[in-house]
Amino acid sequence: MGWRWFHEWGSPKWFYDRAGRWQRVCGFLALALLLVGTLWGLGFAPADYQQGNSYRIIYLHVPVAFLAQALYVAMAVCAIVLFVWKMKLADVGMQALAVVGFGFTVLALFSGSIWGKPTWGTYWVWDARLTSMLILGFLYLGLIGLRSAIQNPDLAGKACAILVLVGVVNLPIIKYSVEWWSALHQPASFKLTEKPAMPASMWVPLLINLLGYYLVAAYLVLASMRTVILDRERGSAWVREVIERD
Amino acid sequence: MSVEHRFLVRELKLVLARPGDFFKPMWFLILVISMVPLALSPDSKLLGEIGSAMIWVATLLALLLNADQLFRDDFVDGVLEQWLFFNRPLFWLVILKLFCHWLFYVVPLILVTPLAGMMLSVPNDVMIALLVTLLLATPALTCFSALGAALTLGTARSGILGVLVMLPLFVPVIILAAGVLTRASDGSDILPLLALLGAFSIAAATLLPLAVGVALRLNIGGSS
Repeated sequence: MGWRWFHEWGSPKWFYDRAGRWQRVCGFLALALLLVGTLWGLGFAPADYQQGNSYRIIYLHVPVAFLAQALYVAMAVCAIVLFVWKMKLADVGMQALAVVGFGFTVLALFSGSIWGKPTWGTYWVWDARLTSMLILGFLYLGLIGLRSAIQNPDLAGKACAILVLVGVVNLPIIKYSVEWWSALHQPASFKLTEKPAMPASMWVPLLINLLGYYLVAAYLVLASMRTVILDRERGSAWVREVIERD
Repeated sequence: MSVEHRFLVRELKLVLARPGDFFKPMWFLILVISMVPLALSPDSKLLGEIGSAMIWVATLLALLLNADQLFRDDFVDGVLEQWLFFNRPLFWLVILKLFCHWLFYVVPLILVTPLAGMMLSVPNDVMIALLVTLLLATPALTCFSALGAALTLGTARSGILGVLVMLPLFVPVIILAAGVLTRASDGSDILPLLALLGAFSIAAATLLPLAVGVALRLNIGGSS
């Protein structure tokens, strides 16, 4: 195996063109999957015997919450790649992932509190999962803030990579400590009603939506990476060509 | 004199040269604590119940007052660049620096907290637990805020940013400390939690200086 792929991935122009194609594929697939999953979930899946129809927000909430955490891990992978192979593209990826990840975290908290109102009777409880999601949101926000505060993009990328790596070591500790704390402070009064294992007609659309939102995240990350690349390479000739072409 | 000895002497001289930085956090702590009864109620039973948590949060904020300054002066006058030319690894110098900061700024602040405890009528046994948690937790907190300070060194006006970036990472420490205080007030065994808190501090104090070193090196390289 040669090293050609390494140089290709190091070239912003090559990635910009390729990512445009992947972005379109992701977009169409996401649209198809979400259409199927959401229609099935909202219209045809059986209602929950305890929560009635209000549980149906699960088809948005769970995939989004899942991705909010997955994107942080993806960011950590980018940080490692940046440190080990000094690949600039990894830094672009980190920048895009932080913004998209923050968006998904906010959406997860928002949809969760909407779900909380009919189920728990309140928009917010200091439950372990909610709290660790909130902390995750602050971590994302810190990364966005740190990057925007440092002028030099190289420096900003490496500083963010350090923060991401320290954060990813800490995240499990935060998660477990918050779970322990929540168990300490409140009895199980505010636990999500434990359902007996979901029937397939409930979880299959959930799985479809999960895949769909994965593709949405990929679409958004690719789109945001392409914008970042254009911004960073704004002095070069190919960017001018691209802008004049489009 | 060895490098370490000269390093410690210099840090001590710097502290003596700027007594304001030494007293400001204590002043802040006492001031914030005196606001609590005014904002809440002068009822000493209520104050005693939430007092330890208030003191913890106020101490945390007071610690952060000086955190941004940790490396800034040394960065501006070029001392940090000299660190690279010592025949000592960078993380070792970072550990020394953080140890000095902890000893000269943080420990005196902790020694003032019993006064705050009296102001909020915190029971004695809870106060002792509070002191122990602060002593055990502050090494970790110092290391985390140092990383925040080191990461934002290159920004023109970092101010609060380093703190904002690092505060979410303080969560496990705060939770463990709060657990100790809850247990101390109902009289159950606090040793297991203190052990966890100490373990977290040891892990932070051994691993984070490496990250701080990398962050400092980035900024030193970036500025020249």
